[in-house]
Amino acid sequence: MSLLSQAVVSGVLAGGLYAMMSLGMSLSWGVLKVINLAQFSFILLSAYFTYQLTVSLGIDPFLSILVCVPLFGLAGMALQWVFNRIRISEFESLLFTFGLFIILESLAATVWTADFRRLSTEQNPYVSESIWIGSIALPVPQLAAFVAAILVAFGVRHLLRNTHFGRAVRALAQDRDVAVAFGVDNGKVSMQLAGLAAGFSALAGVFIAMSRAIFPGLAVEWFGIVFSVVILGGLGSTLGTLIAAVIIGVVGAVATVWGGPPMAPLAVFLVLIATLLFRPEGILGAARRDT
Amino acid sequence: MRLRPAAAATVVLAVALWFVPEFADGFPIFYLLFAYNVFFWIAQASSWNLFTGSSGYFSFGQGAYYGVGVYTVGVLVAKRGWPLLPTFVVAGILGALLGLFIGLIVFRLRKLRGEIFALMTLAVAFVMGAVARVSSTIDGGQGIPLSGVELPQALGDFPAMIFRLGLIVATLAVLAAQVLHHSRLGWGLFAIRDDEAVAENLGVPTFRFKMMALGISAFLASLSGAVHSLQISYVTIEDVFNIRVPLLVILMSILGGTRHWMGPVVGALVVYTLNDRLNAAGLQDVSDLIVGGLLIFMIVAVKEGLYLRARQRPLRAAIGFAVGIGPPIVLGLTDSAITVMAYGLLGAVLLLMLPVTAPVEEAVPVHG
Amino acid sequence: MNIHRARRRPTGSLTGAIALLAVLALVLAACGGDGTADTTAAASPGTTTDGGTETTAGGTETSTGGEEAAGDPIVIGSTLALSGPLAPTAAIHKVAGDLFVEQLNANGGLLGRPVEWVVLDDESVADQAASLYERLITEDQVDLIMGPYGTGAITAAMQVAERYGYLMAQHTGSLTYAFNYGCQFPAWPTGRYPNVTNPELVFDALEATGNPPETMAFVINQFPGTMFVAYGYPDSGDAQDAQGAVSIAQERGYDVVLDVQFPLTIDDWGPIAAQVRDADPDFVYLGGLGVDAPNLIAAMDALDYQPAGMFVQWPAPGPVLGAGESAEGVLSVTAFEAHPPFTDDPENAQIAATFEEAATEAGITYAEMETQASASWAAWQTLVAAVEGAGTLDNEAACDYLVNNTIETIFGETSYGTEENNYYGDLSYVKQVQDGDWWVVYPEEFAAPDHAIEYSPEG
Repeated sequence: MSLLSQAVVSGVLAGGLYAMMSLGMSLSWGVLKVINLAQFSFILLSAYFTYQLTVSLGIDPFLSILVCVPLFGLAGMALQWVFNRIRISEFESLLFTFGLFIILESLAATVWTADFRRLSTEQNPYVSESIWIGSIALPVPQLAAFVAAILVAFGVRHLLRNTHFGRAVRALAQDRDVAVAFGVDNGKVSMQLAGLAAGFSALAGVFIAMSRAIFPGLAVEWFGIVFSVVILGGLGSTLGTLIAAVIIGVVGAVATVWGGPPMAPLAVFLVLIATLLFRPEGILGAARRDT
Repeated sequence: MRLRPAAAATVVLAVALWFVPEFADGFPIFYLLFAYNVFFWIAQASSWNLFTGSSGYFSFGQGAYYGVGVYTVGVLVAKRGWPLLPTFVVAGILGALLGLFIGLIVFRLRKLRGEIFALMTLAVAFVMGAVARVSSTIDGGQGIPLSGVELPQALGDFPAMIFRLGLIVATLAVLAAQVLHHSRLGWGLFAIRDDEAVAENLGVPTFRFKMMALGISAFLASLSGAVHSLQISYVTIEDVFNIRVPLLVILMSILGGTRHWMGPVVGALVVYTLNDRLNAAGLQDVSDLIVGGLLIFMIVAVKEGLYLRARQRPLRAAIGFAVGIGPPIVLGLTDSAITVMAYGLLGAVLLLMLPVTAPVEEAVPVHG
Repeated sequence: MNIHRARRRPTGSLTGAIALLAVLALVLAACGGDGTADTTAAASPGTTTDGGTETTAGGTETSTGGEEAAGDPIVIGSTLALSGPLAPTAAIHKVAGDLFVEQLNANGGLLGRPVEWVVLDDESVADQAASLYERLITEDQVDLIMGPYGTGAITAAMQVAERYGYLMAQHTGSLTYAFNYGCQFPAWPTGRYPNVTNPELVFDALEATGNPPETMAFVINQFPGTMFVAYGYPDSGDAQDAQGAVSIAQERGYDVVLDVQFPLTIDDWGPIAAQVRDADPDFVYLGGLGVDAPNLIAAMDALDYQPAGMFVQWPAPGPVLGAGESAEGVLSVTAFEAHPPFTDDPENAQIAATFEEAATEAGITYAEMETQASASWAAWQTLVAAVEGAGTLDNEAACDYLVNNTIETIFGETSYGTEENNYYGDLSYVKQVQDGDWWVVYPEEFAAPDHAIEYSPEG
């Protein structure tokens, strides 16, 4: 039984990281109507920056957060500015960001080569440390990602419900034209939200660099998980994303223990298919309200 | 172009190309293999655009049909000893069945929005890969070498044979796209693309049409994959069920233009040629940058795609091509016709990308 | 979806021009910035690069004696995984090849002529490798070819080599049962049945301690080569192919308490680590590659668990050492290590030293010469010996020569063909991480001085 409980805990924590990786995409898609594949690039590049900062400056990897989050936040804002300027449509944004994704992956390969980059245990002692609750281990990087994800998810929820900015965001999500007619500054609000979304992705990248080896082709492997989480959680719903990510993490972990590791991706994608068929608006039903 | 002249021209061209390998002593064998790869991508891009470009339902699932095609040959021919040519047809049919199955679930069971359909196709593609990995009857992780496969001798030696097989599949795909473009099925799909609810009210049998197009598209994609297995010669899950094929066909079709059946053909030719030449020169990174940049540029400024833009401004295309090939030929910079052509295509593309002054309609399928 | 409004954007616009400029700027930037990535940028046809220095006919390194090679260059073509998941290890082969060619040219070349090595990037994709070899042979019309890196690429390329009758020396193929082309030469001495000889070697080594494990856990990467060693390949029709590490372990009386497989792209090692801990084996047999070992070790560390002993099939050697304390005692196999007795032969010692220098310069983190680099070296030696021995560039004649003669490589006297598919026996040794570095520890005759295998079930 302890194997199963360890696996479940492992899955829950993995879910935290998945949530962090998916929040940006979910907000982008749900509110800004932008399917931003460059989010994956932000995660990857942030991981690389974390690696490089830790290796070159010898600092604690956690400190990279201070650099990566603002940096990519700005990148996200800049990208949204471009989108606003050219009045991009939802599908066009998918293709545009796909082009961007290809370019950024190629740049990463040029700068860091295709070599696996991994912080050694000396540079990153967290990778093999755990916090113990009874006989259950909570590995530190995943635990940090999980805690961060919860804080971010509830923080954003609070932001959306209780602030002026949040109301503006929800108005835009509901009906952009009407919101603008009522005085919401689409340009400013969308850029700020895009900055937040990119910041979340950057945060995820830091945790990724702390928990595994990275290489340029890694970003593409995240498509499946992130889209699964985003759909299951419901576009634009931060709480939904968190819950969905945890569910997927647990499904993967349990499938691994019961059927072997190859079963994990199979189980996750079957969950995605089931969601698309039976509950495309997401577990909390918090989908966009148009059509 | 009307259907009959277009189709006739295609068939005539195909027959002419069939005999090209006979003159193989006059040029490097490599040209046959290069042409095969172009045929392969024409078939893939055309089959994808046949459904997506017409109906507006964006499919990310090309990899699933391609994978089915490759693995059908791998499992039935390499592992079970089936004869090659009949297995190609079986592969196509299995692909079609997969497509129809997806369509049945998505179109009948739930009336799903466009982007949900797109994600569904992506999910199915991932699932196919996962299933292949889990099942050792199919692969189980070991991979399948195709070294002992008996090749049909009647078509000539390997380069000639694969050239001809690729030619057949590409011709079928282009013909299918042409016929669709000009048929009731095609018009119905365009109507669906513009507004499905209205189309249905006007009496278009939307479900049937979507299923037909999806089935044809999947058949061709799978058939093309089956032939391609001979080129790969060693089949592994990572190489077959990855995101490369689906992404490239989308790229090629968008670049060439999704509104016309020539779009994917042009897109496949341009993207493959440029990528091949840059890769040969050790500049794969540059190739990725160019392709990514072109995609962004097309989305923003050349929405109708290269083909329709070239039709609008044929002189520009011709001048660009001539300017492109001029210097290399004059300076004797290269002894490969393919490299010369690459320069020409690049020149044409760059000139075509310059602004025009007519309002542009949205060429990207926007369904959902 | 939103209703589309009619777009009357002026298309001859600022945005279009900006986008175009951006694309051009990116292209120029990429072209200009090529200098740094010497391990990822393939050499353009016509030159070979070695850590940044250009080598042309004649060589830039001075060596002891030897005439200069002269005349039309002989072009040898190949691909390597210069990008993609296999790139880190392929980089080693790039360095080894560059170094070999450089030294060859400085010592009179091949048949008196300088050698040019053309390397294309197959991006770790097998069918890309096949197409590129076809291009090299039919368009560039190279004189000879060298094998690529990675079992997938090697298997795919071999079909092409067979199609056009080219001799193919290859350095790292593990699908021994599939390599039935008569003119392929597997330089890496795994033997025809690594699925039998490899596990036997490991278990022999464990038993030599006098204190072998009783229970074993198998954690196997779903990569064809590692799957073959662990489970065999029953479909090949050859009875000996049907065995594998798992079945042999059981035959030898070990209790297999866990048997799991994982996909190449595994994300979360937690559950597997938990399963291993739960099974509590005396010994873990990890059929892994690349960074599988440090990943699993870290995941087990996070659970505050380390097994008494662990074997890894074909790890990237550097990252294992980077896993710290917990990596001590980890076992693997190798065909060569840069210490005595392998370096007792002064020529091999020299090769190992110059390789380490070149690898360090190329930025390879673990620069010592070991299995990968030595297999690469042996492959080049094989190709050269074949051509020199036959006295001609004719691939068929060179192939005949190899099949009928014994040659010298870094591994010693090599007679291709003593086993099926041109294999010549398993010359692997067991190595172990001791005091932060790799040392051969078994069999005794090949162990590094003052090093012996350390294992006990108590940990």
